[in-house]
Amino acid sequence: MKTRKLSLMAGAAICLMALPASAQDIVVGFATGQSGFMQAYDEPATQAALMRIEEINASGGLLGRQISTIFSDTKSDRAEGAKAGLEVIEGGADLVVVSCDYDFGAPAALMAESNAKVSFFLCAESVRAGIQGVGPHSFSASVLAAVQGATMAEWANAELGATEFYVLEDTWTEYNKGICDGFDWRAPQIEGVSIVGRDTFVNDDASIAAQITRINALPEAPDAIMLCSMMPGAVSAIKQIRDAGITAPILNGSGVDGSYWMNAVPGLSDFYIPVQGSIYGDDPDPAVEAFNVTFEETYGARPSSQYVYPGYVMIDVWAKAVERAGTTESAAVVAELEKMTDEPTLFGPRTFTSELHHQNQARYHIVKVSDGTPAVVGSWTIAEPVPMDALLQ
Amino acid sequence: MTQAPSVFARTIATPILLIALIAVLAVAAWAFGSGTLQRTAVEMLIRVVLVVGLSIFIGNSGIISFGHIGFMCLGAYAAAWFTIPPMLKQLSLRGLPDVILLNQFPFWPSAFAAALLPALFALILGPVLMRLAGIAASIATFAMLAVINTVYSNWSSVTGGTSSIVGIPIRTDIWLALGAAAGAIAVGWLYSISRSGLALRAARDEAIAAQASGVDIERERLIAFVLSAFVCGVAGVLYAHFLGIVTPDAFFLGATFVALSMLVVGGMGSLSGAVLGVVVISLIIQALRSLEKGVTFGETTLALPGGSQEIAIGIVMIVILIARPAGLMGNREFGWPRAADPAPKTQATKRA
Amino acid sequence: MTSVLQVLFDALSLGSLYALGALGIALIFGVMRLVNFAQGDYIAFCIFALIYPTTEAVTILTLGAAPAILLIPLVLAIGAGVSMLSEVVVFRRLRNANPAAMMIVSFALGFVIQNVLLVFYSSRPKSLSILPDLSRQVEVMGARLPLLQIVTILATMVILLALTAFLRRTRFGLEMRAAAEDFTMARMLGVRANRVILLAFAISGMLAGAIGLVLVVQTGTADITMGLSVMLVAFIATVIGGLGSLSGAVVAGFLIGGASVVMQVILPLEARPFRDAFVYALVIVVLILRPQGLFALRSARQRV
Repeated sequence: MKTRKLSLMAGAAICLMALPASAQDIVVGFATGQSGFMQAYDEPATQAALMRIEEINASGGLLGRQISTIFSDTKSDRAEGAKAGLEVIEGGADLVVVSCDYDFGAPAALMAESNAKVSFFLCAESVRAGIQGVGPHSFSASVLAAVQGATMAEWANAELGATEFYVLEDTWTEYNKGICDGFDWRAPQIEGVSIVGRDTFVNDDASIAAQITRINALPEAPDAIMLCSMMPGAVSAIKQIRDAGITAPILNGSGVDGSYWMNAVPGLSDFYIPVQGSIYGDDPDPAVEAFNVTFEETYGARPSSQYVYPGYVMIDVWAKAVERAGTTESAAVVAELEKMTDEPTLFGPRTFTSELHHQNQARYHIVKVSDGTPAVVGSWTIAEPVPMDALLQ
Repeated sequence: MTQAPSVFARTIATPILLIALIAVLAVAAWAFGSGTLQRTAVEMLIRVVLVVGLSIFIGNSGIISFGHIGFMCLGAYAAAWFTIPPMLKQLSLRGLPDVILLNQFPFWPSAFAAALLPALFALILGPVLMRLAGIAASIATFAMLAVINTVYSNWSSVTGGTSSIVGIPIRTDIWLALGAAAGAIAVGWLYSISRSGLALRAARDEAIAAQASGVDIERERLIAFVLSAFVCGVAGVLYAHFLGIVTPDAFFLGATFVALSMLVVGGMGSLSGAVLGVVVISLIIQALRSLEKGVTFGETTLALPGGSQEIAIGIVMIVILIARPAGLMGNREFGWPRAADPAPKTQATKRA
Repeated sequence: MTSVLQVLFDALSLGSLYALGALGIALIFGVMRLVNFAQGDYIAFCIFALIYPTTEAVTILTLGAAPAILLIPLVLAIGAGVSMLSEVVVFRRLRNANPAAMMIVSFALGFVIQNVLLVFYSSRPKSLSILPDLSRQVEVMGARLPLLQIVTILATMVILLALTAFLRRTRFGLEMRAAAEDFTMARMLGVRANRVILLAFAISGMLAGAIGLVLVVQTGTADITMGLSVMLVAFIATVIGGLGSLSGAVVAGFLIGGASVVMQVILPLEARPFRDAFVYALVIVVLILRPQGLFALRSARQRV
């Protein structure tokens, strides 16, 4: 087993090195986690980005030039991240792609910023992943966590008729807090909606029995539980809530998309999350399913969660901006990106402005899990964008 | 204590040699290294400051502290508070007092004040913690670290919570880091030959006898604790101005164990051990990382699989400690070759 | 009334985990003055050994699919195995090292185990359903409790009683207690040091396996750092209980679990994210009041 594993990894390493950059090429540099904690989160979106690059190269390239890629491993460490950023810039990168998570990606993004290079977070969902936390050349390819919380508030009220919500917040990361911030901004504005109770926990709490006891102590069961959490604590929380006999619908952000964890909670029902595209074969847009099939053909497995998709969107919007600007020069590319308003992509429209390099409103598909089977049950776009005040708490 | 001048003369070789060692490495990295290698050198120098700070307390008192990374955290955040442009602070750190919120302070006074904050914190908490000895003291320092981490992770209006805060001016270059590391070594050495340092090491080796000779152990421990908190605070300030970004979980268990490992592998009883531990471990990590990136032999490139560097450094540390349980240096210090004492135990035992 | 009962059970079940962990640490500390930080990684190792090594998101159970009657002894055996192996390969070579060096070695060993798991399984948490029957609810005196909570509490009691009987009634137990009290003296009196230490490692490895099982049944998730938070608390409980005192470690484990649950219940919402800060502040207070621990052994006092 061990030797097979090692040879597989050696193969992967050779693949990564097999794209030598010629002087004429446009270079995309990946300063991402290729080993360590972040590897599991950075790799899928990187693969999708490589697919889009492949497509562009196959159809004649960008500005008539081929796109080549270089990689530098952050080893899931911040100080190494800054070095990885520097290394891809020294390697001539025109676009610096950094880790999925804001905290891990920021050092490399700051390095790109100080060299006036355009940088993209693979799938960070904090408002700081962009102008606010890095600078005017930094973008994120995903959608703000707050939009996910606000989407679930509106949708659960409109489609499930939920008016009494319980909020259970995992204070482990900014992503979790972001979901709850969005929910807390939107829910009280909706007529008739009230938050009947709230509690906090930490992702690695061995048990949330005390928190569950508090939910059970409510005079009436809530209409829905807004859970703001992520892997692995979210699964643990969902399991403990259901094991305790609480059957209220549970809402969460996109962070727990994927069916790979559902064997932990056999027969899970009434669980809802927003996704940018469906990995379950039932996306309303057949082109998304075609993407899933191509992805499987290329990498041997279907996407494991929606966090594959932002990597594809990232190269897509960046390449369009380069095409329109006619150059890879940073200022011109940023200007073209900031002109995008509801720019169509495979995974929904995207908008960038000179104030926000992130999505504060987005079309989401809602996935419902019934008896352990996830399926798309609708789409929702929040009525108005999440304002900057709510994003910065 | 009339021997003090002779102690000075006898031991001055140690700081000179240690500073020369790190200076040679720094200059080599500056002259021959790429941008990334220079950054590695700066990281190493910041670690020297941190681990020397740790050794001022641990080496002299014999108490393993798990809490000193907390001091680094305090220093780094204070540096961030003082030097981030007010516009950014008003976005994300609105809970700061107005005098900090609305101003940006110059680097040097801010750095000094930022390093004083952990020292002040140590001075307040120290009188309570220093009553403990042995493993109880270790656990109490760990609890202190956990409290600092929980508070900094959740006091969002002042620390930005679990999220990174950015906008800290980049000031730490290789020369500043080298200067700070040299300064830390000098401070560590001066403390170890001071009256307090000698008394504390005497108490470390023979607590009862030292007490009987009139050593106020709690007081000497407190002095070492506060001084080491200051030096670790300096390391935090350098770190903040190096990465330009701070976040609470960079100052928790991972960093604590890396620093302690370097100290123990080097030899926790001596200043030379602290510096050598950092240098040796850093060099091995760097060598492993370049192996992981791949070494080209003619036509073929050989690369270790990703993640093998971490496994290898763990094994290397185990092997070093099995071979030399007291660390690379034991309790000894570097000295001029000729001045080597025939039975070089610790300073304290020699005096006793 | 029922809610008080519920809180009591919540506290007992969390405390059980900490108590089992503290017991494992105290056993080893007692015989060789080693604070074994690798203990938390044994927990993860036990569980990951049940899963097919793949870095894909999907979890494929191999040994984990075995029926309970096989699975439980199997996990305990894996725990004992990895723990004894680390004693034979690593710690045995450090008999004369100081506690700090041993502690750092144990940390380095844990780091190696963790990174080996990382290479083979990736950092993505694995989801698995093991012993699903334990997730059922039962009603006890008006309180609805997960069966697992009751099983955990009962199992902890059984383990503690069995271990007490073992330590009191058998020759091995006698030797181990003697070694914990005064290792050098025990050796002089004919205690076979290496065997006693190996046995202590075996038992603490089994305890790690038991904790792993409880965690994975409770959370349905395995990730490579899953043992860390339990072991940190257990480590603290060992010190608060009075180093070397096995019963002290257990009681302190229950106390910290109780304190944590009670804090979660009584703290106002704004202060709840700071729960751990209050728990650790309490730890400092206890240490200041009782530096030798709550149940200090007479032998642990400093002698002049």
